[in-house]
Amino acid sequence: MNRVGNLLRTTVGSALPAIVFGTLFLGFWEWAVRFFELKPYFLTAPSAIWEQFTSNFTLIRGAATVSGTNALIGLLAGTVLGVAMSFVLSRFGFLNQLITPLAVALNAVPIFVLVAVLNNMYSITSEIPRRIMVALVVYFIVLVNVARGLTQVSPTHVELMRSYAASDVAILRKVRIPNAIPFLFVSLKIAAPAAVITAFVSEYFGGSQNGLGSRISSNIANSKNAAAWAYVLAACLLGLLFYLFSVVMESLNRKGEVK
Amino acid sequence: MSAVSIRNASKVFNLGKSNQVDALRNVSLDVKPGEFVSLIGPSGCGKSTLLRLIANLLEPTNGDVVVNDKPAAQARLDQDYGMAFQQAGLFEWRTVRKNIELPLELKGWDKNARALRANEMLQLVQLPEFGDHYPWQLSGGMQQRIAIARALAAHPPLLLMDEPFGALDEMTREYMQGELLRICAATRTTVVFVTHSIPEAVYLSNRVVVMSPRPGRITKVVDVSLGGERNEDTRNRTVFFEAITAVREGLRGMHAAHVGLGNDDR
Repeated sequence: MNRVGNLLRTTVGSALPAIVFGTLFLGFWEWAVRFFELKPYFLTAPSAIWEQFTSNFTLIRGAATVSGTNALIGLLAGTVLGVAMSFVLSRFGFLNQLITPLAVALNAVPIFVLVAVLNNMYSITSEIPRRIMVALVVYFIVLVNVARGLTQVSPTHVELMRSYAASDVAILRKVRIPNAIPFLFVSLKIAAPAAVITAFVSEYFGGSQNGLGSRISSNIANSKNAAAWAYVLAACLLGLLFYLFSVVMESLNRKGEVK
Repeated sequence: MSAVSIRNASKVFNLGKSNQVDALRNVSLDVKPGEFVSLIGPSGCGKSTLLRLIANLLEPTNGDVVVNDKPAAQARLDQDYGMAFQQAGLFEWRTVRKNIELPLELKGWDKNARALRANEMLQLVQLPEFGDHYPWQLSGGMQQRIAIARALAAHPPLLLMDEPFGALDEMTREYMQGELLRICAATRTTVVFVTHSIPEAVYLSNRVVVMSPRPGRITKVVDVSLGGERNEDTRNRTVFFEAITAVREGLRGMHAAHVGLGNDDR
């Protein structure tokens, strides 16, 4: 009981500055819009955004589900592929030298070029190009980090395992994989918000107009700024949700561990 | 019969390349069962290399290494020795108990037998209440005691140690030396011990092997006639100081000839 109370107190304690700052910021924003009589197309008041958010909640939730599903599927696929590839790379050093320049080159290609290319490969209403795009972004983040975790093991650990006449498989299972797990969670913390952002941005380049990204752009095109902001708010919440999910995953893994 | 027998072993790194290093040249050494032998010498004298030849973590360029009356490679496969390093090298994702059980896991022991042995080893190093702790919750000295427990978990006849107390403070270090002697006496383990410290080598050893740098050779072997029973009073005995002087002279003799060498230990 006491521990729960302590946890609650520390959580509230650490969140308090952010809450105070956020409230003051929103208050100032609302005040500025009213006091300077800013036109809605210039800056919309938080109250108007909130009004749009609540009245269009069903629509917004639908759009968030579309983008969120794309981000989630891409995140899962990219993570699985990235982990699989990192095993291959850490096992065969020469592949690492072949693939790394390719990975860097692919990463240097602007994201919208790839989405446009992918869009042409599938039917106009397909969500697959967006999911591939998300998976690709996640893939590289996970690949680089997990491969590092698999290879950057303590020399003492490896020497110790060799003194036990341990096989390569045993060294992989008992040293490399446990060493790489924290790296996986760090990569997920970076990849989860990136997945959401990529899912939005992918929607700007054609395909179905059903996700948060396309709603934002179409509402802006129609000068419905408050509605556009309401979708931006949903996008923030979705990104936050993904980030929190990765943090919770990491803290579950950390139980009993360092710090 | 000897625990370790090295005949004319040489080790050359990067043979035939521009960065060729003669780490060891024509080293011969016999260690009797139950003996405690220290290897001492300046940085770069190849004492760690010699230890790794015994452990079969390195292959000699020339010569033979026999451990427990079999080729070193076979002795490694049979886990005939345990090893401890300057870093305790505990796995931070495993509890202390699971760390001690690691060599037994690799030998295919079942769960109950492993747990029994882990308890026995925790008793041996006098940390029975720390089995379920994680390594980071232990002090450096305690971590090193767990590393010794792990090295001895499979009851190997031979313990190889590479500056295991090098990272500890002086007080902890002297305490650990006493602990190591107690543990080795209890388990009748033969020890080959690499160190930089002359008092440490003398306090622990039956024989101190003095080595010279590049190419590494054995220049002197000092017999330490302190007898089996050693305690804090040992450090004040005349025999102790005489042995220290003998080792120091052995080191100084060659130091004059090799001033200004690099400090790479391998």
